[in-house]
Amino acid sequence: MSRPPTPQGLEPIESVESVTLPRGTRTVQRAGLRINIRGRSVRLRGLRVQPRGLLRWLLILGPGLIATSAGNDAGGIATYSSAGAKYGYDLIWVMILLTVSYAVVQEMCSRLGAATGRGLLDLIRERYGLGWATFAVVIILVANGGVTVSEFVGISAAVELLGINKYIVVPLAAGLIWYLVIFGSYNRVEKIFILMTLVFFAYPAAAFMAKPDWGEVARGAFVPSISTDPDYIFILVGLLGTTLTPYIQIFQQSSLVEKGVARRHYKNERVDAYFGAFFSNLMSIFMIIATAATLHAVGKTNIESAADAARALEPVVGSSAKLLFAVGLLGASLLAGAILPLATSYAISEAFGIPKGVNLDFRRGKVFFSLFTALIVVGTALALIPNLPVIQLLVAVQVLNGILLPIILVFILKLINDKQLTGDLKNTPLYNVLGWGTFAMITTAVVIMLGSQMLKLLGISLFG
Amino acid sequence: MPMLSNLLRFRLVDEKGRSARLTDLAVAHLEGDYPQVTRLLFFNEGGERKSLAWREVRSIEWRARLIRVPDLEAGSPMSSAPLKEEALLRAEVLDALVLDLQNRRATRANDLCLEEEDRRLVLRAADTSMSAVLRRLTRGLYKHMSEEALYDWKYVEFLRGDPQAARHEAGKHLRITRLPPGEIALLTNQIPYLHAAELLILLPDPLAADTLESMLPERQLQVFEELDKEQATRIVALMAPDNAADLVGRLNLEEMQSLLHKLPKDRSERIIDLLRYPEDTVGGIMTNDMVTVPRNLTVAEARRYLRKKLKGPDFVFYVYPVESEESQKLCGLLSLRNLLTEDDDRKLEDIMDPFVSTLDPLDSAVNAAYRVIDSGLAAMPVVGREGKLVGIVPVDVAIEQIAPEGGTRQLRIFA
Repeated sequence: MSRPPTPQGLEPIESVESVTLPRGTRTVQRAGLRINIRGRSVRLRGLRVQPRGLLRWLLILGPGLIATSAGNDAGGIATYSSAGAKYGYDLIWVMILLTVSYAVVQEMCSRLGAATGRGLLDLIRERYGLGWATFAVVIILVANGGVTVSEFVGISAAVELLGINKYIVVPLAAGLIWYLVIFGSYNRVEKIFILMTLVFFAYPAAAFMAKPDWGEVARGAFVPSISTDPDYIFILVGLLGTTLTPYIQIFQQSSLVEKGVARRHYKNERVDAYFGAFFSNLMSIFMIIATAATLHAVGKTNIESAADAARALEPVVGSSAKLLFAVGLLGASLLAGAILPLATSYAISEAFGIPKGVNLDFRRGKVFFSLFTALIVVGTALALIPNLPVIQLLVAVQVLNGILLPIILVFILKLINDKQLTGDLKNTPLYNVLGWGTFAMITTAVVIMLGSQMLKLLGISLFG
Repeated sequence: MPMLSNLLRFRLVDEKGRSARLTDLAVAHLEGDYPQVTRLLFFNEGGERKSLAWREVRSIEWRARLIRVPDLEAGSPMSSAPLKEEALLRAEVLDALVLDLQNRRATRANDLCLEEEDRRLVLRAADTSMSAVLRRLTRGLYKHMSEEALYDWKYVEFLRGDPQAARHEAGKHLRITRLPPGEIALLTNQIPYLHAAELLILLPDPLAADTLESMLPERQLQVFEELDKEQATRIVALMAPDNAADLVGRLNLEEMQSLLHKLPKDRSERIIDLLRYPEDTVGGIMTNDMVTVPRNLTVAEARRYLRKKLKGPDFVFYVYPVESEESQKLCGLLSLRNLLTEDDDRKLEDIMDPFVSTLDPLDSAVNAAYRVIDSGLAAMPVVGREGKLVGIVPVDVAIEQIAPEGGTRQLRIFA
């Protein structure tokens, strides 16, 4: 990596200076910078020298990686597993296409966050007024509410895999999440949840060890196969909805705002968004390959429970697949189960200007508090309905997200092209082509899906 | 009380029977506690955006939702360019972020309350409640209104979120200047950084400098980079050197150098002196804005000598007698109280306390902070090579160093 040009009058000092402190407390070792100012040459040591090389990239990529590991939640795992089991490698091409869309959309959201310092709902409220903001809030509430339910379903599926009674554990988990967030110690516990999700790194290994037919994988990846089977289109919309979830977009934008990225320093952050999209989709593709090679290959095309989905990990961990899968699912579901109601209530309170003070005051705010509590209670209650078709429900929620997605996309594309808001960070024509292309693709898929489901209901089968 | 959301459903009717829908109101928001409505905005029959001065209004018929004017065609055309001295109530103020100065918090203008007084209409309060949201969404079917949620406009600051737009308004918004800088800084931590930058641009420089000093470090940098170069230089020159050094040290190299070049010479030298020490040492936390006085002066001479020097620094409790002005070699400690109460003709060296406990600039910052607090002194001097006084660590800096972080920090939800 080439070193950035040194500005005039500043020469970095190569040697490391060692200063021994009196009383022998410790030694400060710090490279300094020699700087010439008004003919005076001084060595500055107090500078926060920007990290270079590998460290710099790790610092930039860190948040993206965490966001993506959180993005592969219960619904994602269910959808990718179902796609792999039912259609083998046939749907991988969608994921390849989606990687571009995902990267473009994620990048636009980050850019919007950095350019304006505001969240998506705030911007909609300020630019388009109360009516549109309320509309967007309803959409987000439905989409995120659905996903919240799916996270609690994920928790219950995970504990059932471990052989524990879900009617006891799920309400306990919900209570725990509620307590941690309201009383502010959530940030400390979050790391444990993230660690648990690292289990899913077993998927790439499983994909290789299952010895898939790589020729078939390549065909599935690069030769689009289009089927008019309503179920196929249903799963396809599910894939769209779980990859480009509205919640991830709001999250991405707000995380840039909270990270404190100023518009002048946005450039490097692009990499984070691109890498996050690439990495997360790579993981999803491995999930599809792993399930396709283990389940689809042996004729098990219908995943009905978490236990079925867990079998995809068998090639790498054998009989402990269930246990590991449960741990990962539990971690991912707890992570998203806390963040999602929190982020949703936060964004909505802000859009309506609910008065908020510092810290606890805010969380005790009436609207915030009731929204957050309601999301958790409803999520828990729905997840505890006996004999729930777990996997189908999870996929259906993703399909719902897919249907709502184009609406959110229009807002994002409109806002990012508003020069008064974004200035120099406005969309380039290429971005607009890719962004509106994504919108067109998703809308088409959703329309076809709704049409074919309708026809299916009426008992008419498309194209014989 | 007339609310803006209600008023926007009114029609304008002229004497010839022509009518148009009221689309917006312009107010002179830079003047007075309760800004006056200056113009009515509407679209004429040809679809052009026009404006009419408020003094043309003949009458307002609240029941019939009519505003009577003499002639709609007399209106002057409006371009879509931003207004200079006025703000548009619907387009700019309604739904915008406003600061509620009484409760020190950021909120949203869900509705605006106007008041008619002798043929004028003035902006009286902002309604920030959920009832206002419901009233607007139901187009007035829901009628509940709580007086509690009305915030007197006198204590409301409205921000556009666009630092550029604020430039020409600088110095005119003076409501927020009634708050102390620390509280303004707390407010800026609650709002998006562009709003915070806009606010800082509006403040007079000395207050802006004090506010910037109290902001959270990340927010401080974000906001600082939105300022134009001249204002940035003026503000840094007004900051305490230790706080200025912390900020300058976090800029990138080109910016740091150009800023240090532009600052007045004594300022930039003080800052550079501090930048030479690593952040976790005494040198990294101390300030070098202290007052020294030659030891051989008498009390009366010292008072005269100090009269000018005491104006600059923002924290003075002690003055430090030194060998001579050139050497700055520390030889004692003298509190301002002593200087005021002792007889005029006594020499400083006779009344000072010659036994001073000092810190070394390369000591660990945390250990030093404990020493300062344990000593019970308001500040402890820092002495470099050959006994030269290089700075002081005041007790507030020491407390900041060891107080657990996060007292005022918001829970991070998204990052």
